[in-house]
Amino acid sequence: MENNTAGIPATGAIAKKPAGMARFFKLLLQQRALVVMSVPFLIWLFIFKYMPMWGWTIAFQKYKPALGFWEQEWAGLTHFRFLFEDERFIRVLRNTLAMSGINLVLGFVTAIALALLLNEVRKVMFKRVVQTVSYLPHFISWVVAAGIIQSTLSPDGIINELLMKAGFIKEGVLFLGIPEYFWTIFGAGTVWKDVGWNTIVYLAAMTMIDPAQYEAAEMDGAGRFKRMWHITLPGIKPVIVVLLIMNIGYLMESGFEPQYLLGNGMNVDYSENLDIFVLKYGIAQSNFSLSIAAGMFKTVVSFILLFVANNVSKRLGEARLY
Amino acid sequence: MKKKSMVLVVTVMMLFSVVAAACSSGNGGNTEGGNAGSGASGGANNAAGGEEKTQEKATFTIFNGAGAAKDVNTNETTIGKLLEDQTGVNFKLENLVGDLNTKIGTMIASNKYPDAAIDEVLGAGAFIDLTDLIEQHGPNIKRVYGPYFNQMKAEDGKIYFLPFSNVVGEYNPDPNINQGAFWVQRRVLKEAGYPQIKTMDEYFKLIEDYVAKHPDEDLTGFVSLTHDWRFFATTNPPMHLMGYPNDGEVTVDMNTFEAKTYSASDATKRWLQKLSELNAKGLFDKASFVDNYDQYLAKLTSGKVLGFFDYGWQIGNAQNVLKDAAKKDPAKDDFVYFPLPVTFDGEKDQYLDPPGFVKNRGIGITVSAKDPARIVQYFDNLLKEENQILKSWGIKGETYEVDENGRFYRTAEQIAKIDEAFREEFGFKYYDWNWPNYGTNSTLADGNAYAPGLQPEVFQMSLTEADKTILDKYGVRTYAELFAAPDERPWFPAWGIPKEQGSEPQMYETKKTELTRKYFPKLVLASPAEFESVWAEYMGEFGKLDTAGYEKFMTDEIKKLVEQAK
Repeated sequence: MENNTAGIPATGAIAKKPAGMARFFKLLLQQRALVVMSVPFLIWLFIFKYMPMWGWTIAFQKYKPALGFWEQEWAGLTHFRFLFEDERFIRVLRNTLAMSGINLVLGFVTAIALALLLNEVRKVMFKRVVQTVSYLPHFISWVVAAGIIQSTLSPDGIINELLMKAGFIKEGVLFLGIPEYFWTIFGAGTVWKDVGWNTIVYLAAMTMIDPAQYEAAEMDGAGRFKRMWHITLPGIKPVIVVLLIMNIGYLMESGFEPQYLLGNGMNVDYSENLDIFVLKYGIAQSNFSLSIAAGMFKTVVSFILLFVANNVSKRLGEARLY
Repeated sequence: MKKKSMVLVVTVMMLFSVVAAACSSGNGGNTEGGNAGSGASGGANNAAGGEEKTQEKATFTIFNGAGAAKDVNTNETTIGKLLEDQTGVNFKLENLVGDLNTKIGTMIASNKYPDAAIDEVLGAGAFIDLTDLIEQHGPNIKRVYGPYFNQMKAEDGKIYFLPFSNVVGEYNPDPNINQGAFWVQRRVLKEAGYPQIKTMDEYFKLIEDYVAKHPDEDLTGFVSLTHDWRFFATTNPPMHLMGYPNDGEVTVDMNTFEAKTYSASDATKRWLQKLSELNAKGLFDKASFVDNYDQYLAKLTSGKVLGFFDYGWQIGNAQNVLKDAAKKDPAKDDFVYFPLPVTFDGEKDQYLDPPGFVKNRGIGITVSAKDPARIVQYFDNLLKEENQILKSWGIKGETYEVDENGRFYRTAEQIAKIDEAFREEFGFKYYDWNWPNYGTNSTLADGNAYAPGLQPEVFQMSLTEADKTILDKYGVRTYAELFAAPDERPWFPAWGIPKEQGSEPQMYETKKTELTRKYFPKLVLASPAEFESVWAEYMGEFGKLDTAGYEKFMTDEIKKLVEQAK
């Protein structure tokens, strides 16, 4: 985006085209205001995104917090070995990917569906109310949200009461105690919490679609669903694709709070994800090196995923990040 | 390129040195002020505080990883104000919000600590050595902690923090039950005619009978605390049921000093099988395994729960609410919990803690502290006998009285006055623990108990009519008398044996806890028919742990402690 806006005045102003470095510096001089404006962000990027990468060295040390860098004992790949050889690692990785997969799919489908429906609502008041109500839960912290979910699902909670009244079950079910239910609970909880919030960006994208297209389609006899399918969805496709690529980059991040707060001994086989594993065996044991090793692993995988997704998208001729 | 980066490095270093210089010059000024102040306050007593020369006031922060109180400035409390008048120092008490390990991780990562902190987790280089500071500024610290210096030293011979359970003077037993017990609502005992309950079966029979007689009251027979690190309230009972005190993960043989884990023993099996039976009868609250600590306390205060196993200090919040309610309305006394010394088959119980010195937890000064000397002086001043009386008994004529024999006591009005709100306002609550102090069971120089609750005169006064009735029915004067006297165990408590972060024994404990956390619910919620097969599965998993190595480590450490105490 920045490049485009910067390029417009530049192309207009240049009469003859000097080649190579000369041209670069000339352009640079012409656009100095833009360059200066971007400097703070580059500094920010450097300090907060590149400098911390120095900390990756910790993964190869037997790190003790109080010692200086040169006093640390080097450990080679010990921590990575511990991580990958641990029998729980596969399970933890499975949970991480499964839960972020659920997040990704459910998050996209529900948010797009809700956005499409909201877009069709003609009564402004109703639309506003639905929107506000649906994104309110986003502002509740997970601690509170987990408390709500816990009491809703407890053996004497409302869901059990309803099921018992309806005669489906005879006594309260300990939902959070059944490992296989955890992903469902997690998925439903996340959707409830974030669906409204996620619609905002799609709704914004929809306002960019030229109303003339809808009018034309209507003239041609397209019904509501046809218009949704042939105009609204293609209209927001670039946004969907970009968000998808970015989210694929986050596949290793399945969240921490919901699993930590809703997890317990009984559902640990399904609730424990990479972050919690790192907390238990890294941070809680003051083994910061292991935590960093796991963090590195996550970053590398995420990077590859992002790269692949972007490339695939490029091949298919869709919108992409770079 | 190279030159540029050198310039950058130099610039950054200069920046840092400027900051450091600014800090250290500030420190210098403070230290002088602090020294002058403490010199003046050396002989001052509480009342003289106001006449002192005004000295530069300072505020330090203390982080408490295990506290559940709200953040407060000590000088907002009566005690803290008096101490501030003496020393010019105020402390901001910060309690943990959120997860302890995350918080500590953040501190370590940023290398920014509060001035002082309570917990051993921070030991990893974050605390400064106190040896010299105590030598220079701590005559009272030496008096109080002197006998324990050897035990307080870390492996490198330095003292990093001051623990809390050092006994000064005679050992004074606690008349209340702050330690483990099987608790039951008083109405259950009342209805059954105050029977002697000694065995596990008698205890659960009692509860079962009561529930059977009151089917419409929506009662819960038994709950268990499982939340987070408090899970030991569910794993420890087999140890106590066998007649051992709380040594943590192990039971220790009195003669051979062999440490044995019990998590996979017959005792644990028997305990879980009993819970499983209770669950099958609908007497066990399944939600025990998903509830958090707050939900658990809420259940205890609801009056619907008949019994549970836990440590007195852990249910204090709930029990105090119930007792306060009973003071206002004697009918509510039914819901107050009564401790019982239950063992498997009526063996001699060892619920009461033997005198011990917990040395893996204490208050230390961090490397970030602005003025360690001043903090040590504050601690030293706090440890003066008159200030220990102040923080424990309060102010003569206001919160305690002295009779003609020099015995401290409290009047009924004073006892009524000191409720939770008053404790907060006066500062008893904030100075109660987590400071350098006399251990709870200490005796003052004049023979009075250090802790008011342990003074027989006060304990008798603190009892309600209903308390006296039920104690009378059991033929005892204090709750502690219900329990057997503790045998001497010089290593006690074995859970206080320090383990290096990330070491094998610590890893064992983590893995073991994770395993029990996963299998205990399965075992308890299994139908009695399935129990054996789940147990076999658990044993299989447990077999993968290096239990022998852990037991050897513990046995060796315990033998060392036995040697040290000789």
